Amino acid sequence: MHRRGVGAGAIAKKKLTEARYKERGTVLAEDQIVQMSKQLETFKSNLEEFASKHKQEIRKSSQFRVQFQEMCATIGVDPLASGKGFWSEMLGVGDFYYELGVQIIEVCLALKHRNGGLITLDELHHRVLKGRGKFAQDVSQDDLVRAIKKLKVMGNGFGMIPVGGSYLVQSVPAELNMDHTVVLQLAEKKGYVSVSEIRESLKWERERACHVLDHLLKEGLAWLDSQASGEPQYWLPALFSELTSRDVTPEEANQISP
Amino acid sequence: MSFEWPWQYNFPPFFTLQPNVDTRHKQLAAWCSLALSYCRHNKLYTLDIMEAQESPVFNHKNIDRKLSMEAILIVFEELRKKGNLEWLDKNKTRCLVMWRRPEEWGKLIYQWVSKNSMVNTVFTLYELANGDDTESEEFHGLEDWMLIRSLQALQMDGKAEVITMDDGKGVKFF
Repeated sequence: MHRRGVGAGAIAKKKLTEARYKERGTVLAEDQIVQMSKQLETFKSNLEEFASKHKQEIRKSSQFRVQFQEMCATIGVDPLASGKGFWSEMLGVGDFYYELGVQIIEVCLALKHRNGGLITLDELHHRVLKGRGKFAQDVSQDDLVRAIKKLKVMGNGFGMIPVGGSYLVQSVPAELNMDHTVVLQLAEKKGYVSVSEIRESLKWERERACHVLDHLLKEGLAWLDSQASGEPQYWLPALFSELTSRDVTPEEANQISP
Repeated sequence: MSFEWPWQYNFPPFFTLQPNVDTRHKQLAAWCSLALSYCRHNKLYTLDIMEAQESPVFNHKNIDRKLSMEAILIVFEELRKKGNLEWLDKNKTRCLVMWRRPEEWGKLIYQWVSKNSMVNTVFTLYELANGDDTESEEFHGLEDWMLIRSLQALQMDGKAEVITMDDGKGVKFF
């Protein structure tokens, strides 16, 4: 059979393709694609310039970090999303939060035998700063919260419980459900709580209140005080304000189990 | 130097025997440590249990909490098991508190003796524990029963010999 000329067939095909694209309403002309790729190149080198200029600032200033994070959020980027990659390598953002995460774990482990694995964000902040020394980089509570969120995602048993305007950081995978959380929030004001207080504030049955308090005792998060006037009180070392600045003594250190 | 109370001392539940086993374990360890530190600080070598109950250690008036007799006995039993306490009577009313073991005392005494080049000298027990020369030493004021045990420990090591003299006991160091 006599073949049709290539030219005629190709033109016909092109017309068909164009017609199909027009149908869908998306027409990407070749020059547009070239244009876009040039823009991306410029964008990338601008970003690299930005990174080298601000790498120092990111490590030094917690305020800058907050603004940087917020900016990233607006454009839909999570600088901590992966260990490798532009943000992590160019800016060292990942490193900063990784190191902070390690520090947080160290502090929580050192105090776990005292507070059962529950610590206020304030105390954690205070101790992390102390551990970093006078000349180290500034670390804000915002930084801590982000680092903890990362730890949580990595499955390190970390959690954050909102109490009294701040957070309690949980570093052991104790099972704390909504009932437990709500009682912790109630206890935050005075550092302790009683069955009557729970019944009055939360309108619970006695059994429900006792169940929660027993669980907190069992998890080592609360201690029983049976010499309080009226009825027993349940105190949380994590909320005991006199404890926050006390260092771990050698005796205590010996008690810490691996 | 004033005594430094541990954080638990101001924590009201510390004076209630904890129902949770793990927490109780930590609590007892802290009580043992506190009792020994307190005795060390105040150079107490014997305790009368009734008096102890009223002492600041077990009776914290500021926060209106005190350790029950039952709990005190449990703490003392822990100390006994660790070798830091010995009952003087079957009824458990008085006890010896060894915040330092006899071997450790012996070592301190011998260090002082050799530092002052007094090896081969004979001392009376009184001179050693209550003499002017030893006033600044930690073992100054050491009670007789502990002193003798410490010297006996040194004797086992061949570093001393306890001798009986006319009016009491003495010791010679080698």
